[in-house]
Amino acid sequence: MPSRKTRVLDLSRTKPGSRKDKLKIQFLSSDVLNRKSEDARVRFVLDIVKDGTILVTDGVMAPDEELGLIRETMRRVDDGFPGIEVCSLKKDLPGVQHFFEQVSDQRNKVENLLNKLAGKKPPKIGLKFGMTLIGPSKYIKRIRKDPNSFSVFAGA
Amino acid sequence: MALGDFFDWLLCAIKLKKKVTLGIYGEVNVGKTTLANKISMDWAGEKMGKTSRIPHETRTVQKKERVTIPLKGGRKLVLNLLDMPGLATKVDYRAFTKYGIRAKEAKKRAKEATAGVIEAIRWLDNVDTVLAVMDATKDPLTQVNLTLMGNLEAKGIPVIIVANKIDRKSANPKRIKDAFPDYPIVPISALKGKNIDHLYEAIGKYAK
Repeated sequence: MPSRKTRVLDLSRTKPGSRKDKLKIQFLSSDVLNRKSEDARVRFVLDIVKDGTILVTDGVMAPDEELGLIRETMRRVDDGFPGIEVCSLKKDLPGVQHFFEQVSDQRNKVENLLNKLAGKKPPKIGLKFGMTLIGPSKYIKRIRKDPNSFSVFAGA
Repeated sequence: MALGDFFDWLLCAIKLKKKVTLGIYGEVNVGKTTLANKISMDWAGEKMGKTSRIPHETRTVQKKERVTIPLKGGRKLVLNLLDMPGLATKVDYRAFTKYGIRAKEAKKRAKEATAGVIEAIRWLDNVDTVLAVMDATKDPLTQVNLTLMGNLEAKGIPVIIVANKIDRKSANPKRIKDAFPDYPIVPISALKGKNIDHLYEAIGKYAK
């Protein structure tokens, strides 16, 4: 039996209509996120997560975007929002696709630099293949990750 | 240019001395400041920062300039040593109150800690080499570690993984080796000084 401290959410006991003990999980298509620039994407994701929703999407952020997510999270931390838990699984692409992904990454970096120098808006760079879960840390108690899977322990 | 700076430049120019900005990065409470203190004590004779069991003790970047490590062949490595605040995706002031800190002080500490994380991220663009410190008693496959390693790789920054706390019974540095097989890994105990010479050798070898 789970201890009171690490109580796992039992949705079957939730009274219909009550907000207490409800946990919202939103599955969002990466198409929605890919239409946004990296900065806008981070803000969009955090708006959802700060509202108490666990977000799952079929894509993975690039490393520098993940850092941007951590940075923006830190800016938004307050008494009611201590931060996020995030976990992603990147899909290993076969040889040729992996090569093209690397070429695309380099092209994006050059484009990004040129746009910065020209004072233009950064280009929209899509998420990589994979899966990401981002949720408020006050609900996600623990994430256990293996190279090919992760388990999420959540509770109110 | 001061006379000391001029001699540093001259020795670097004739390859007898190498100057490197070395950032110590990692999650909260993995022993970054303990390691920074050990390196600084060994080669500069003084500590860099205060350690504590309370998370986020280091909330601003601690700097120690001109820490000189002798290398094989009579060469020297001059380090600008940077002890970074711990990286985290969450900072909850309530966690500090469990250590007896009052709520008001805990909130202030949390605010400083979030600023520290942002500062540590910003410094990633200004370091030459990174010691990525991981706690050998814990699961290394955390998102913070993966994000840190991903960014170092993307930026082309040389990194040495330091598997710390091997003096503890539950330490298992092999888990870190299995999780990050493509990087040099040095198991150490910063607290006890165990294997620290291996780390200095690795710094001499990989720091650029």
